Amino acid sequence: MEKVMEILRQMSGWVDPLVKSSGITLSLSVLSVIIGILGGTFIALGRISKNKLINKVCGGYIFLFRGTPLLMQLFFIYYALPLAIPAMTLNNRFVAALIAFSVNSAAYQAEIIRAAIQSIDHGQAEAARSLGLTPNQTMFLVIIPQAIKRMIPPIGNEFIMVLKDTSLVSTIALVDLMKRTSQIQSSQATALVYLPSAVIYLIFTGVFTWLFNRLEHHHARYE
Amino acid sequence: MAVIQAIDICKKFGDLEVLHNVNLDVEKGEVVGIIGPSGAGKSTFLRALNHLETITSGKIYVDGHLLDDRVNGINRTNLPKKKETEILLEMGMVFQRFNIFPHKTVLENVALAPQKVRKLSKPLAEERAKELIARVGLTDKLDVYPAKLSGGQLQRVAIARALAMEPKIMLFDEPTSALDPELVGEVLSVMRSLAESGMTMLIVTHEIAFAREVANKIIFMSGGEVLEHGAPRQLFENAQNEKTRAFLNAVL
Repeated sequence: MEKVMEILRQMSGWVDPLVKSSGITLSLSVLSVIIGILGGTFIALGRISKNKLINKVCGGYIFLFRGTPLLMQLFFIYYALPLAIPAMTLNNRFVAALIAFSVNSAAYQAEIIRAAIQSIDHGQAEAARSLGLTPNQTMFLVIIPQAIKRMIPPIGNEFIMVLKDTSLVSTIALVDLMKRTSQIQSSQATALVYLPSAVIYLIFTGVFTWLFNRLEHHHARYE
Repeated sequence: MAVIQAIDICKKFGDLEVLHNVNLDVEKGEVVGIIGPSGAGKSTFLRALNHLETITSGKIYVDGHLLDDRVNGINRTNLPKKKETEILLEMGMVFQRFNIFPHKTVLENVALAPQKVRKLSKPLAEERAKELIARVGLTDKLDVYPAKLSGGQLQRVAIARALAMEPKIMLFDEPTSALDPELVGEVLSVMRSLAESGMTMLIVTHEIAFAREVANKIIFMSGGEVLEHGAPRQLFENAQNEKTRAFLNAVL
């Protein structure tokens, strides 16, 4: 009994530093996914565009950022770019990580958004066109509102992937939840720190899974 | 003067010619039934009038305006986009699969284009939409989403939605083919009253009895060509072409 109390007392001392460091984890994932959705929408529209050049450029972007490791992109932006172009030195680690995660997430989300848009029955666009709506009106008033519901589950999935992938930032010495966990583990030579740390990750993923389910439900109200 | 005049319409998909020298004149207030076996090019022809398909060659006049003048797929009319849209809006289209917007209520479906294209204020667009929805007998469904409606009701909404743009001509592409048999009647009755109100209509249909009753003119198409056309009585009772007779024998 005393042993258990001792462990609990030890763990409660870790909660504060772990929770503080998880702010980086949370803000980095939320911001990257939001920027990724915005960027991904433009890339998706480019992929659907009949303009061959725009189409190729957007296709190339997705090929590049989905086809190379995220860790490589992170290192490239933070370590390699300043060596090549000194003006591109990013002193702020958070900004460097945010850029790497956003450009990477945009590539994945572009494909999610493109697939959702193209899954909408072509008859919808024909009806809109026969009513005189312009291609832009058709896209933003008819197609995208229907496609959003189909994007939500895969974007929720993407969010959870990003949330866990943010642990990679420990490699550029940004102190996120994972980095703090490994610091406590090595300084206090304890394995127990993984328990509260995992619980925090699970709370985040649990809350966001619930949120995305609510969002999907809200967008399915007309069905 | 003809409201629609189609001259020598040809349409090719690669080497396959799906429309071959199709000619058609539609007078104001006329109801034209286009019949024929599957794959005859009936729907393609109707869709070509509305630019949902691009013809390879031929001329299309709508309400006296030259809309298409194509040779080898190249349009020589050089219409500005705005003018083209204006001419296309003289034609309202009703689709086989309704194509109602599922994320909009009945009222929003009908009022959307008048607001966004005709730039009517929302109250005015909705007021007019309500009149049209009443005309197709769906006043009790104004705020209902399409998922809650039957196929027959959806098609009536689609008719109201097309009418909201105040077209001079209504194109119907097999409007009852996707419906359960017991729902066909309600759609045909809306179309009948539309015909009686003097609307010019082109109807691609398999409802031979309806075409016979409502149409002033019947076009029989087969293999991408118009094989025969005439008044319903003449065509149904005294078909000249062997293929027309064979088709009518099979369906009647």
